Amino acid sequence: MRVGPKIALVGGIPILAAGAIAIVGWLLLAQEERARGGAILVADAYHDLTMARLVRDQYAAADAQERPVFATRFESLTARAEASLGRLASFARIDEQRARIAEVEQALARYRSEMDAFVRRTRENDGLIREMTQRADTLIDLTDRARLRQQASNADLARSVAEKVEALRVARTLISHLNDLRALVAAQAASPISGAEGKRIQARFAAASAELTAALRAEGRAADADALDALAAQPELGTDGKLDAWIERNLKIETSGQESLHDEVAQLLAYSLQANEIEQATQNIALGTLKLGPRTTGALVRRDPALAERMLTEGERLGRSAAALPISPLIQAEMIQALDGWRARLTTTIEGLRRQNAMIVAMDGLAGTMIESARALNDAFVLDADRFGIVIQRILLVGAAGLLLFGALVVIFVARSILVPLKALQGDLVMLTGDPTGATLRGTARRDELGDIARATAVFVSEIARREGALRRAKDKADSALVELQLTQDNLVRAEKLASLGELVAGVAHEINTPLGIALTTGTLMSDEAQTFRASLGAGSLSRSRLNHFVDRVAEGAGLLCTNLTRAADLVQGFKQVAVDRVSDEIRSVTLVTWLDDLVASLRPMLRKGAHVLDRACPADLAIETNPGVLAQIVTNLVSNAVVHGFRAGEPGRIIVRVSEIAEGLVRLEVRDDGQGISPQNLDRIFDPFFTTARSAGSTGLGMHIVHNLVTAKLGGRITLTSEPGQGTSVQVDFPARRVGHAARSTSTAIGSP
Amino acid sequence: MRTVLFLAALLLAASPAAARTLVFCSEGSPESFDPARATTTTTMNAAWQIYDTLVEFAPGTTTIRPGLAESWAVSEDGRTYVFTLRDGVRFHANARFTPSRPLNAEDVVYSFARQRSGDQGFTYFHDLGLADLIEEIDAPDPRHVRFRLREADTTFLANIAQVFGAILSAEYAARLAAESSGDDLARAPIGTGPFAFESYRPDQIVRYRAFADHWRRAGESVEPDERPDGLVFSITTNAAVRLTKLRAGECHAMAFPAIADLDAIRAEPDLTLLSLAELNVAYLALNTTRPPFDDVRVRRAVTLAIDRQAIVEGVYGAAGLLARGPVPPGLWAFDASLPDLPFDRAEALRLLAEAGLADGFSTELWYPPVSRPYNPDGRRVADMIQADLAQVGIRARLVTRPWNAYRAALYGGVPSLMLYGWTSDNGDPDNFLSVLLGCKAAQPGGANLARWCDPAYETLVQAARRTGDRATRIDLYRKAQRLVRDAMPWVPLAHTQVHFALRKDITGFTMDPLGRHLFDAVRFRASP
Repeated sequence: MRVGPKIALVGGIPILAAGAIAIVGWLLLAQEERARGGAILVADAYHDLTMARLVRDQYAAADAQERPVFATRFESLTARAEASLGRLASFARIDEQRARIAEVEQALARYRSEMDAFVRRTRENDGLIREMTQRADTLIDLTDRARLRQQASNADLARSVAEKVEALRVARTLISHLNDLRALVAAQAASPISGAEGKRIQARFAAASAELTAALRAEGRAADADALDALAAQPELGTDGKLDAWIERNLKIETSGQESLHDEVAQLLAYSLQANEIEQATQNIALGTLKLGPRTTGALVRRDPALAERMLTEGERLGRSAAALPISPLIQAEMIQALDGWRARLTTTIEGLRRQNAMIVAMDGLAGTMIESARALNDAFVLDADRFGIVIQRILLVGAAGLLLFGALVVIFVARSILVPLKALQGDLVMLTGDPTGATLRGTARRDELGDIARATAVFVSEIARREGALRRAKDKADSALVELQLTQDNLVRAEKLASLGELVAGVAHEINTPLGIALTTGTLMSDEAQTFRASLGAGSLSRSRLNHFVDRVAEGAGLLCTNLTRAADLVQGFKQVAVDRVSDEIRSVTLVTWLDDLVASLRPMLRKGAHVLDRACPADLAIETNPGVLAQIVTNLVSNAVVHGFRAGEPGRIIVRVSEIAEGLVRLEVRDDGQGISPQNLDRIFDPFFTTARSAGSTGLGMHIVHNLVTAKLGGRITLTSEPGQGTSVQVDFPARRVGHAARSTSTAIGSP
Repeated sequence: MRTVLFLAALLLAASPAAARTLVFCSEGSPESFDPARATTTTTMNAAWQIYDTLVEFAPGTTTIRPGLAESWAVSEDGRTYVFTLRDGVRFHANARFTPSRPLNAEDVVYSFARQRSGDQGFTYFHDLGLADLIEEIDAPDPRHVRFRLREADTTFLANIAQVFGAILSAEYAARLAAESSGDDLARAPIGTGPFAFESYRPDQIVRYRAFADHWRRAGESVEPDERPDGLVFSITTNAAVRLTKLRAGECHAMAFPAIADLDAIRAEPDLTLLSLAELNVAYLALNTTRPPFDDVRVRRAVTLAIDRQAIVEGVYGAAGLLARGPVPPGLWAFDASLPDLPFDRAEALRLLAEAGLADGFSTELWYPPVSRPYNPDGRRVADMIQADLAQVGIRARLVTRPWNAYRAALYGGVPSLMLYGWTSDNGDPDNFLSVLLGCKAAQPGGANLARWCDPAYETLVQAARRTGDRATRIDLYRKAQRLVRDAMPWVPLAHTQVHFALRKDITGFTMDPLGRHLFDAVRFRASP
């Protein structure tokens, strides 16, 4: 496959897969949305049902008048819940949900029908309670009426008693008159009629009889009054006993009447007392009834059948006492009837209440199950929605991961299909680099872009191989020439070094020659002197002055000897050091002033020929850690160059060696001459090996080259050469060096300027 | 609350079904509810509400009409009566008993057989000689009952129309016997009458409820007036209190208003006063078996010593009629030719002296504690008699007992001199002459309180009983009454006009010459 389709493959498949995932996700999201919608509906229904239960409780607890409001609310709530459930059916996705919905709907229908039954029952019961209340009120009314009647009857009784008492009073009056009359009749019979006494009695009799007649007439007993009048009018009073009999008869009637009246009054009084008691008892019943009504209502409102039952017993007790009372049977019958009705209704009501309570319990159970079912349904929907969410999540996750993996695999495959040949090509190229002839290029047979590259590379490699062969041959030639050259150069350098060493030895010999010659001379002289002295001593010619003179001469000679020998020793010491330095690469601490003095001393013979002056300038306390051999060679070569090339013959020149510390840890060594300078065309080649302008004079052309190498390689420094023709040449060597406190040099004696 | 009360009142007022109870202020407590043991009109009246008899007196008359027997046949010799029972007559039910069947011949046979079988306080049945008269009672079939008499007896129908002839439930009796609570027959009676017994509180109240299944109701047309659905006897012994209650509307009707109150009642616009000469007699019985009253001279002396006229005038007033003998003037056997008994103290003293009692003697005079139809005030009558007797040297000590004990003492033959009276139960002269003075009733426990037994008299009375011929009977009874006059076992005191007071809104009450208080036909006047 070509690379283009591969790239299309790598890019396209993930896009397609992502699209598919998006579509599936969208579909699932829609489902989830549906489930969530269902859950919300269920939650609404659940809320409605819970509210309905609350409302049901309120309904049960409410007053009869307020109940319809709650019934309506319950109805609307359950209707709404039912509607919600109905709509829910379209949200149901699986059979389990449908089954649950159906379950809740059935339970709701049952619940509603039970509530209907409950409402009916409460209505019946409320009706009964209303009737009961009416009965109780009737009862109170009746007891009140009974009481009023009792009062009226008591008043009647009082009236009756008053009447009887009046009758009694009348009877007593009549009896007293009758008794008076009888006494007078008896008195008349006993006394003579004609006498004054008889007259008086007669008069009294007439008065008494008139009084009795009046009393009788007042009582409406005209017949009796007439009879008395007739009897009293008879001339012979009491003689025939008729009047007496009349009196006796009436007395009998009145007396018995009086007795009878007494009894009657007593009875009435007793009855009146009893009536009062009855009134009291009636009142008690009324009070009991008054109390019973609200207490019963309370018990019913609190739905307490046990308490109502007690009220029932109380009612029974009241009924018994009402039945036992000798009150108006009419009212009593009505009272008992009212009480019986009340009790019958209460019994039914209690039964109804019990059933209502049972219904409430049943409804609570049903509502609990239903609400539980609704909750379960809600949970089912939520769970369903969650499940969709999780599925979406998983699909996205797995899809993304799969897509990633797949993409990665595709990328790896594609990359491999590209990279492997490229790597092979690279490897081949590397191999070719190592062994241009030995390796071959693979992949040239491929038909894709890589094949093209491989083929192009193969052409390139073969061309390179060819050119490199030519180059290598040339290089081998050059290398062998270079080796030869280096060998030659080394030889030259060694020769140069030895040459400079010879120069050094010549210089040393020259230097030491002088003090040693002086010492020798002095010794000779002294020996002569001693000879003379001894001769004089032997000759006894020795004078004081002579002795002093001798001593002075010996002292002077010894001094001179000492001085020159010391000088020779120092020189040897110095040369020894220089020589050692020349052949060793040892790095040590060097006090530059001393070291420079020693070096300059060794260079003097070279200068003496041309009578050149060599000055030095160096800070006295500068001591550094360096390779003094290298440094000495550099200075020697530079001074030598200046002496050989710098000055025209016969023209003494001046050379200045100057050491300074130009910066911390960086030391500058400058060798300057005031010679003829170097022509600019030579200036560029001055450090090339074997470049010399005085090959004819025996120069190797390696001096400056060595200096350059020593500066750069051994000291790690830098060399600068400035020269103007006619103005002299200045070579500056800057090299890093660590400064030390004190030089380890044992000999510190400076040679000083010659 | 006020509204509710108002509503309740409205409800009560508006409802035609509202219970209406008829309250009758009765004069005394019944001693039993067993009709066979009833001897006083009070007890009888308590039973009359509950029971029916085979034949009955049409209210307000002494005419026999069909009762539980819709018809009857009498044999040629007058000794066999076959009654055909009414079909489907229902018995009452109570808490412990619900009848399983309607009335049949078994109940009739039981109701009579129990009285025949032994004395056991069935005074009336025995006093009337029915135990001897009835030879056999049997039931050819459930709807027919046959009475076989030893001899013809014209009073038979009238006798079994009395309250002891009431028909009880044999089924109920058997049930009670099985439960060993036979006494409940008298305490919780079951009958076929217009009112079913509900409860009884002695000296206070008897409650009945209307029996909706009463046989007589079946043929009744719809009436505009309201039928009471309950009946209450509010027992009130004091006549003044009774009147008070009537005035207050606590009673709808009252028995025996006091003579003194009659004018006042007539004057009241809300009340109606009924009066009827009842077939009754008040008398002073003298125990003829006990000295000194075993001497006819003493009995005559006592009669002559009492100013009966004064008693009637003083105690009975306009309602009283001086009695000459045992038979009231309203009854066909009354003998108007019988001479009046004089008040003759001298003769009395003479007779006493003749009998060897010139110094008089001491005795007890028993008087009834309650007002009776024939005697409104026993105490006062006794007082006056005591005063009269004192004049001739007879020292009478007044004695009384509570009504039932009094009755028992009298029937037991305890006193020698006693005030009592009688109201006819069947309107037949025999009911006075045979029951009160016959030899059968002279036995211990019988109603012949004088314990007077004259074979000649007995023969006359029994003969009158056997014949159906009115003229013959009148003749026989006149002879018998003369014998009584001669022997003087009683001091006849009075016959009375009985009064009855009603509230104006009560209709349909008929006064009964036999002293029955029948409320079957009573209605509340329909409210305007």
